[in-house]
Amino acid sequence: MRRFTLRDSIAATVLAALALAAMPWLMSDFALALTLTCLMYAGLAVSWAMFCGATNCLSLATAAFFGMGAYVTAWGIGTLAYGLGVLLGGLAAAAFAALVGAAVLHLRGAYFAVITFGLGELVRHAITYYEKAYAGTVGRVISEPPETVTIYHVVLLVSALAVVTALVVRASRLGLALRGIGSDEERARTLGVETRRAKILAFSLSAFFPGALGAAMAVRWTYIDPLSVFNPFIGFQTVLIAMVGGAHTILGPIASSVLFSVLTEYLRLQFPYLFLVILGLLLILLVLYLPGGLASLLERWRWGKSRA
Amino acid sequence: MAFWFELVATGLITGGIYALVALGLNLQYGLMRIMNISHGEFLMLGAYLTWLGHTVLQVNPIVFLPVVALALFTLGVAVYWLCFRRIIRTAPAVEMIEARSLLVGFGLMFLLQNAAYLAWGADLRGYSFLAEAVDVGGARFQANRLVVFAFAVGASLALLAVLRWTLIGKAVRAMMQSPTGAQLVGIDTRYLHPVVFGLGLAMAGVAGALLSMVYEISPGMGEPYTVTALIVIVLGGLGSALGSLLGGFLLGLVETFGMHYTSPSLKMLLSYAVLIGVLLARPKGLFAR
Repeated sequence: MRRFTLRDSIAATVLAALALAAMPWLMSDFALALTLTCLMYAGLAVSWAMFCGATNCLSLATAAFFGMGAYVTAWGIGTLAYGLGVLLGGLAAAAFAALVGAAVLHLRGAYFAVITFGLGELVRHAITYYEKAYAGTVGRVISEPPETVTIYHVVLLVSALAVVTALVVRASRLGLALRGIGSDEERARTLGVETRRAKILAFSLSAFFPGALGAAMAVRWTYIDPLSVFNPFIGFQTVLIAMVGGAHTILGPIASSVLFSVLTEYLRLQFPYLFLVILGLLLILLVLYLPGGLASLLERWRWGKSRA
Repeated sequence: MAFWFELVATGLITGGIYALVALGLNLQYGLMRIMNISHGEFLMLGAYLTWLGHTVLQVNPIVFLPVVALALFTLGVAVYWLCFRRIIRTAPAVEMIEARSLLVGFGLMFLLQNAAYLAWGADLRGYSFLAEAVDVGGARFQANRLVVFAFAVGASLALLAVLRWTLIGKAVRAMMQSPTGAQLVGIDTRYLHPVVFGLGLAMAGVAGALLSMVYEISPGMGEPYTVTALIVIVLGGLGSALGSLLGGFLLGLVETFGMHYTSPSLKMLLSYAVLIGVLLARPKGLFAR
């Protein structure tokens, strides 16, 4: 069998995206909303895995980027075109990530996880304070949201771009550098990899997509307040989806985001607390018994077949 | 003068609790590299146990403290055996232990917090205990806050004493310095790890029990304390017990003074600003040499 090249993967992504683009005319509203959630989590998980899966750095900053994007929309709506807001949201998150990354990316392990988690909270509290003190509000009402079909197409575009970017990065020198950092940062540096620059670049690139998705999805909520858009749950679920799928792959996070969105949709509304109890249990079991994620099952199966 | 005294004292009382919560977390991290993000949830369990003990069994919360500590210790040993033992055995590198234990911690957090919501609902619960005011040096405090402070500092100092002067403390310190070396001289990880993990949770449980005497409790009460404890141990240095104690008091004072001079809604913002500032300037902690 011929090996699947980069061009094949990109072609497959584009074809899948084109097929999904026709969905609004074929699906019920409920199924469309569900697909939208799947697409959002796929974009979030793939962009998270692009940086964190390769480098083994555990970033919990997704919620911070997502919330920043959402607030770009919240502040800009009415004066800014929807598509432009999405672009700006992504750029704002990427710029923020580059700035912060330059300061904290030398930290590793638990320090990095703690500080990226702290960042989300920091931005959230800062925005809450700013809104209370200067704008005199707690949250903002989105008055004229664009049509669902428009939102769907924008989210689809951003998520497809995330997948293509992840594919290109993985095949590039940057991807190689990132994997080198992941397996042994000292050694990568000794071998001449500019680890600092590679990490900042990749971190910032991977922050663009959650920012853009936050800006795109913000209009789905009619009312935006810091507590809901900086919800740490969005960040945790992204990490969870990527890890369950297999953070070193691209297909794994996509598959598990579909799985989780469907599960969430059906269980969360009916048993909100029990659902999270089960989610917690599932997370523990997966980390303990399948640390490589769903993708490792597939790899194990393939490996077994090639030996037989 | 009395005003300053009151402000400092309030900061120290808050800081005492922070120190107690952070000590347990730091001990676990320093020894096993387990970043137990669900630490605050065990604090919450301690608080609910005390509340149940007070309202159902009519037991004095102070008398109930040892029971809570023992219960959480047992739970900690069980949690270690069920979850963290396997991670430490199978992870290929120290960084993987940190990452995986963090994820398991998140799992435990979801599990415990929502189990508490299922069991007790989202309402705030509380009871009144020693709520009358007392005069100390011209400032007025609620008696229960002084009790809480005394027990928090007492428990923290007791733990420091255990680490410094007992054989098990010596073993723990040796393990922190050099895991391989400690094993070479016959220190058994299989016993030390679960015991220390249980000890950390017992501290969290005691902190929760103490908090329930002063504040109303809810299933979500633990999370802010986890975050604060993380800040404290970063301030004091990961793995340093004395650093946690000092860091706890420092953060308590910073918060109290900051809230007084700016606004209460900035409390968390101040903590994070301190955290990020310290991490950037002194990544090994304020008291590292």
